[in-house]
Amino acid sequence: MANKRSASERVALLIRHFRREWQLYVLLAPTIIWFFLFLYKPMYGLQIAFKDYSVFRGIEGSAWVGLEHFRELFHNEQFTRAIKNTLILSGYSLVFGFPMPILLALGFNEFTRAFLKRTTQTIVYLPHFISTVIIAGIVISAFSPSVGVVNLFLVKLGFDPIYFLTKPEWFRPIFIGTGIWQEAGFSSIVFLAAIAGVNPSLYESAVVDGANRWQMMWRITIPSILPTIIIMLIIRIGNILEIGFELIILLYQPSTYQTSDVISTFIYRQGLQSAQYDLAAAAGFFNAVVAFVLVLTANTISKRVSRTSLW
Amino acid sequence: MSDVVLNKIVKRYGDITVVHGIDLHVKEKEFVVLVGPSGCGKSTTLRMIAGLEEISDGALNIGDRLVNEVAPKDRDVAMVFQNYALYPHLNVAENIAFGLRIRKTPDAEVKNSVAEVAKTLGLTQYLERRPADLSGGQRQRVAMGRAIVRHPDVFLFDEPLSNLDAKLRTQMRAEIKRLHKRLGVTSIYVTHDQVEAMTLADRIVVMRDGRIEQIGTPMELFNNPINTFVASFIGSPPMNQLDATLGMHDGDFIAPTGAGSIRIKASVGLKAAVGKKIVIGIRPEHVSAEPIENASELAIELDLMEPLGSEALLHTHIDEHPFVIKAETHGAIDHLQKLSKIYIDASKVTVFDAETKMAINSPNQEFK
Repeated sequence: MANKRSASERVALLIRHFRREWQLYVLLAPTIIWFFLFLYKPMYGLQIAFKDYSVFRGIEGSAWVGLEHFRELFHNEQFTRAIKNTLILSGYSLVFGFPMPILLALGFNEFTRAFLKRTTQTIVYLPHFISTVIIAGIVISAFSPSVGVVNLFLVKLGFDPIYFLTKPEWFRPIFIGTGIWQEAGFSSIVFLAAIAGVNPSLYESAVVDGANRWQMMWRITIPSILPTIIIMLIIRIGNILEIGFELIILLYQPSTYQTSDVISTFIYRQGLQSAQYDLAAAAGFFNAVVAFVLVLTANTISKRVSRTSLW
Repeated sequence: MSDVVLNKIVKRYGDITVVHGIDLHVKEKEFVVLVGPSGCGKSTTLRMIAGLEEISDGALNIGDRLVNEVAPKDRDVAMVFQNYALYPHLNVAENIAFGLRIRKTPDAEVKNSVAEVAKTLGLTQYLERRPADLSGGQRQRVAMGRAIVRHPDVFLFDEPLSNLDAKLRTQMRAEIKRLHKRLGVTSIYVTHDQVEAMTLADRIVVMRDGRIEQIGTPMELFNNPINTFVASFIGSPPMNQLDATLGMHDGDFIAPTGAGSIRIKASVGLKAAVGKKIVIGIRPEHVSAEPIENASELAIELDLMEPLGSEALLHTHIDEHPFVIKAETHGAIDHLQKLSKIYIDASKVTVFDAETKMAINSPNQEFK
């Protein structure tokens, strides 16, 4: 092609471009380095999911075993139980936890008194800034059968105390509830920002047309922040298999494994406690592939249905 | 259709008063334009009429009802906003139908009304499109459709054409005028563009700093501005204003300038101003490049020429004041480039008091 630049011309152009824009690349460098070191370089180790890994032989020296670990995983009842629990906990937290920040944001938006709005917002944001360890401590204390406020209340009402944290059937509601308490307020900021971006004249026009606050919320606010809701939902679906690992580790115990053991805690136990790195890597790899497929699917559906997508 | 009466309307934000007790009577079916520079209180006034701002003091009547405390939806007004205020998630048909749906109008009636309005505004083929897929002009038409569909008593327009390009603005201006002619709904229109005000209004209200400076028909304001502010605001290019001291020569009123003396037609009030500092107002279109009988002759030196086709704007300075002349080109500009003398008809000169800035004479009235 006559108009195609020669290789040397392209290199010269590139050098000129770097010379001109080097400050931008310097700004970008820390993020790229971080991504490379912590997200891309570890991918090299993923191959142990397909190897009979030995710490002494190293990654290179370990023998390939193909899909052996995956077969083993799917024959492992604990792993299938972990998948099931992950999906159930994620499903519940999606159904109950996802709408909560939206409802909070819509509620905050309706406050007309600035002081009341600010105070309420601070109260619901606070738990986000408390370490998960402390949150778990508070939950354990609150549900303690002897001194926990919940049981004291139940006893007052004439019920017997319940050993909440040792009973599998109570793990899910406690976990979901704690998650909502800790994060719903802070997550509402995204939706509040989206609401703040709605053109005020849409509301004024609706007021002149005769709409009340309820109608404005349904017909203007919610449809206007729908793209944000969808983006957040896609991200949430992508993370569906990465359920709050820290909180589960802190709250679960062998008696509740039946409902509380999820993929990440399974990987933690296999990988770190039992030193089965290859099996844990296979579980982690499976987790990542499913999450990737979920994000792709959610994004494609959203693109078709609502014209909103991450990419 | 209703008339709108503003009686000593005041708007305060805390200690700051932005509208200082204005009085205005917009008659039934009238098209009144509120015009003025940014921050003059015109939009606030309109928003008070719509009910989007509380009225701090005074009385607002729409028809025979006092509506100070009446909710916007019960005032029977419709408003068209500067940025269209279209719902991005609804298509054109649903945008137009929004007000009707809110009022729980039966479905069949909504469909008929939307179809009728769409036909009136030439939007029928765009009914299924979303606002993002429309041009600026089409969006503004949808915004008007939303106002029309409810058959309100009063239309309120808040700078509806400001976001459009010049060509589209001219086109939409004509459409609004045509629409008002057809529907005959009382309309109050806010703009900072005096051309819009002149072309659309039955009457123009010129505002400054929360007060009404002058109310009148476009030609009244053009010919007889009450003060230098109105004189400079109405008309494009604005009226030339020169400082001078009023004198008399051979029984004629004259205003000497560095370019020559300007004769002024006698009128009541002028005599008392002799010897006082005045501001002479001369419209660019009232300056002649060709000699006319009994006209004052001024010697000038051209700074710049802006040819506009049939006319040209010639820029010069008189006593350090910029002075613009609007001259006919007759298809050529060469003869204007050499222009060194201009002629001013004594009957076309407005005189303002230099201190109060108020008009002393009005060129089109014998006695003021």
